[in-house]
Amino acid sequence: MAVKLVGATDLEIDSAMTLNQARVGCDLQIQGVDGPSCERLREMGFCEQLRVRKLAGGRNLLCSLCGTRVALSKDLAEQVLVKMTG
Amino acid sequence: MSTTSKVSATIALVGNPNSGKTTLFNALTGENQRVGNYSGVTVALKSGTFFTPHGRKLRVLDLPGCYSLRAGSPDEQVAVAALTGALPDEPKPDLVVCVVDASNLERHLQLALQVIELGLPCLLALNMIDAAELAGLRLDPGKLAEELGIPVVPMQASAGKGVLELKQSLRFPLPHPAAAPWLDEGGDADAARRGFILRLCELAARRPSEHQLTLSDRADDILLHPGWGWLCFAGLLLLMFWSIFSLAKVPMGWIESGQAGLASWLEGLLAEGDLRSLLIDGVLGGVGGVLMFLPQIVLLFLFIGLLESTGYMARAAFLMDGVMARAGLSGKAFLPLFSSYACAIPGVMSARTIDSAKERLVTIFVAPWMSCSARLPVYLLMVPLLLNEGEGSWRQAGVLFAVYALGTASAFAVARVLRGRLGPDPNPAHFMLEMPPFRVPQWRYIGRHLAERAWSFIAKAGTLILGLSILLWALSTYPKSPGADPSAALAHSAMGRIGAVIEPAVKPMGFDGRTGTAILTSFAAREVFNSSMAILFRVRESGDEKATRGLLRAQLAAARWPDGRPLFTPLSMISLLVFYIYALQCLPTVAVVARETGSWRWALGQLGFMTAFAWLAAALIYQGGRLLGF
Repeated sequence: MAVKLVGATDLEIDSAMTLNQARVGCDLQIQGVDGPSCERLREMGFCEQLRVRKLAGGRNLLCSLCGTRVALSKDLAEQVLVKMTG
Repeated sequence: MSTTSKVSATIALVGNPNSGKTTLFNALTGENQRVGNYSGVTVALKSGTFFTPHGRKLRVLDLPGCYSLRAGSPDEQVAVAALTGALPDEPKPDLVVCVVDASNLERHLQLALQVIELGLPCLLALNMIDAAELAGLRLDPGKLAEELGIPVVPMQASAGKGVLELKQSLRFPLPHPAAAPWLDEGGDADAARRGFILRLCELAARRPSEHQLTLSDRADDILLHPGWGWLCFAGLLLLMFWSIFSLAKVPMGWIESGQAGLASWLEGLLAEGDLRSLLIDGVLGGVGGVLMFLPQIVLLFLFIGLLESTGYMARAAFLMDGVMARAGLSGKAFLPLFSSYACAIPGVMSARTIDSAKERLVTIFVAPWMSCSARLPVYLLMVPLLLNEGEGSWRQAGVLFAVYALGTASAFAVARVLRGRLGPDPNPAHFMLEMPPFRVPQWRYIGRHLAERAWSFIAKAGTLILGLSILLWALSTYPKSPGADPSAALAHSAMGRIGAVIEPAVKPMGFDGRTGTAILTSFAAREVFNSSMAILFRVRESGDEKATRGLLRAQLAAARWPDGRPLFTPLSMISLLVFYIYALQCLPTVAVVARETGSWRWALGQLGFMTAFAWLAAALIYQGGRLLGF
């Protein structure tokens, strides 16, 4: 899926990956949210610059977003772009 | 200022799902609305009243939870309509209390900001501060109030902390609508809001830098594990079915001995005659046969209440998403379907939380096949008879589990076919669900909820079932035949004649006219089946200390066709169970489905389909079994 980044520099794009690609147990920062369901994702709290930790992969991903656990499907995770922190 | 009974203002509680709006609503009004620890328990507007410490009477509206004012699913649309004053008969609220989870401000403030943009006077209830402090957040309510321009009240609604402060801050004149400074920068409103929230949280809600694992997280590692999680889930369900059979035996024994005592007392008091027969056979036999199951129904509701209240429901939905996907549904449909095990009506109503209209229709269509608590008495009567043994064993729990599994599996199969026929959804809604932290159950609310359910069951037994029992008794007693043979007397009675008319319709399923009549009466309420059987098969207590149910089973086991074959063979009992799994014998459900789908065609189609399916399935099993030599 083609992902367009708003306000991200080239360097950030280079180190960015989708939430699906990130390894389980990593602390991540959200770089961009784009795709058909981006509004729903933003409402749920998947917004730029927020910190997220991927807890489990599989059919549905499990992540901790600002201390809350959120389960989301692979299709949705594909629309969230993240980079590693720390 | 004088205390008047006139409502001086309407306030609305708005917030994300799981921010504790309903808990706050209950704390404010002293009412007992259902609280659950998963999103979407409140699907419709609830209103109540309370007095402020200044003696003003305020009306408070509890709105369904929503993440934004964009309004995707029907329950969110209700919330938005209420805020904008678009609902008929409902004035625009004078004040909005935005309820936010203090440990999650980054996410919950988005909605609060949108409400401020509407230009309504606002107040921020900073709920669950205990959880925020536990997570190590450094909160500054003063700074928040200053930056947002609205009053902020820290609170912990579940423990009643901060409720008085909230009431005190609802003084007149109400605060002015706040400006929305983040919009001044121009550009995309969404981006501006997000930027503002990030800056605000840096100032007033600093998070500790390292990621902290709470006890809840550790529990999730096991409960959401692809292997262990399923084991725990299956274990919980088995425990539930086992306790329905075994734990409930003790209170059931009390009810039984009370009934037997009452029957023998009546027997000593009254002379042999119609009145004695009415009271003992009609009233005690009919109502008692249903009332007996009160402990089991309470246990079922207790289990479901516990699962909701602790937050396990959302975990179950997560685990089940893969299974539901095979039926063309998502994990979100799990919650409505699971609550249909208690009763299909709240199940159908909670389908409002599903975004996709087609998925919602399909969920509503199959929900009545999740065996509800009204079917439990019928299953509990038949299962021990089928296994030819006393009550309360692992084998019976297993059969009961299989009965529930058959209904559920068929519901999924039909959902899959139906979902395929309805075609793809224009905007695909993917699975996304918040996992609330595990909480200690709110015992007070569960207790009150159980008492309400138990009372409504008793009230039904005392009114509808009592009336039907008397009617059935009369129909099966009059007109009287001259002979003394009880079976000839029944055949001569009005009921016997009705039964003879019905018999051809139920004979392919292996039932006689009496069972057919009992099935017909259970369209009023499924539990009535037991009452009808007790009356139609003339179960007498005759001062005997043995339980009515045991007697009814003995009577059923001894019942014969005119040609001497036993009436209830294992095959015909399975056929009866199958009929009850599939038949939609509940008119209130039909009415609720018509309301929720906005289509009587859909509701009547469902009724017709399920009745025909039940008949066909039962007849196929019986006739097929006969051919195979059972």
